[in-house]
Amino acid sequence: MTAETTPAVVIAVLVAGAVGAVIRFALSRALPVRPGRLPVGILVVNVIGSALAGALLGLAERAAIGHDVQLILVTGFCGGLTTFSTWSVETIELLGGGRWRAAVLNVLVTLVLGAATAGGMYLLLR
Amino acid sequence: MRTYLAVALGGLVGTGLRLAVDLFLPHAETGFPVSTLIVNLVGALVLGWLVGGLWARPGTPSWLRAGFGAGLLGSFTTMSAVMASLVLLSSDGAWWLAALYLTVSVVGGLALAAAGLRLGSRLAHRPMPTTVTDAGQTL
Repeated sequence: MTAETTPAVVIAVLVAGAVGAVIRFALSRALPVRPGRLPVGILVVNVIGSALAGALLGLAERAAIGHDVQLILVTGFCGGLTTFSTWSVETIELLGGGRWRAAVLNVLVTLVLGAATAGGMYLLLR
Repeated sequence: MRTYLAVALGGLVGTGLRLAVDLFLPHAETGFPVSTLIVNLVGALVLGWLVGGLWARPGTPSWLRAGFGAGLLGSFTTMSAVMASLVLLSSDGAWWLAALYLTVSVVGGLALAAAGLRLGSRLAHRPMPTTVTDAGQTL
């Protein structure tokens, strides 16, 4: 965000964040957390959002998309679609329930798939 | 319907707060992303506190949980920005900074979520006030 960012762009970022949040909520309801199992809904949105952010950063680097579009889609949409707080709390709840294997898996799968897809898309598209 | 509306409204506010923190703590694309780190750590603590505390009490409406949890705190915090920073830092050759950022985010986020859950559950299990003021006349 820079001093040249117009109010219309800021509003678009907020709306994109809200749309991302609603999609995340709908998916987490469609794939509800079964006690002691991997929270698949949040895992899926976090990986998809990370991959999309990597792709958009790649496109931005070769100026295929502008700064405003990047702000709306990366900060707004991907930021709203993905979540860190729910991921942290669900991991600790798995640990607290004695499901340490599922907790470790939730951390590793999210981080490895998130970083690999974000990095891969970035390298592919830049 | 009310639940989805609450999530959308929470998402709007959460994204706005994250944008505001980004604005006050700007960082270069290849610098240490302090704003994202703060947002994620604060969000993990507060969500833990709510889940372990207020929401463990019976009678919390589901739209309120969805609006504040999935909506506001969900979109206040972000996983994609963490991954984006990792990618940008690594491709800039700042591997150590990327590793440090990831470690602090994950260890700090999990520790604060645990602390929040613990603080919250202390609140949830505090007994309701039971002061008797009528000196036993009606009880």
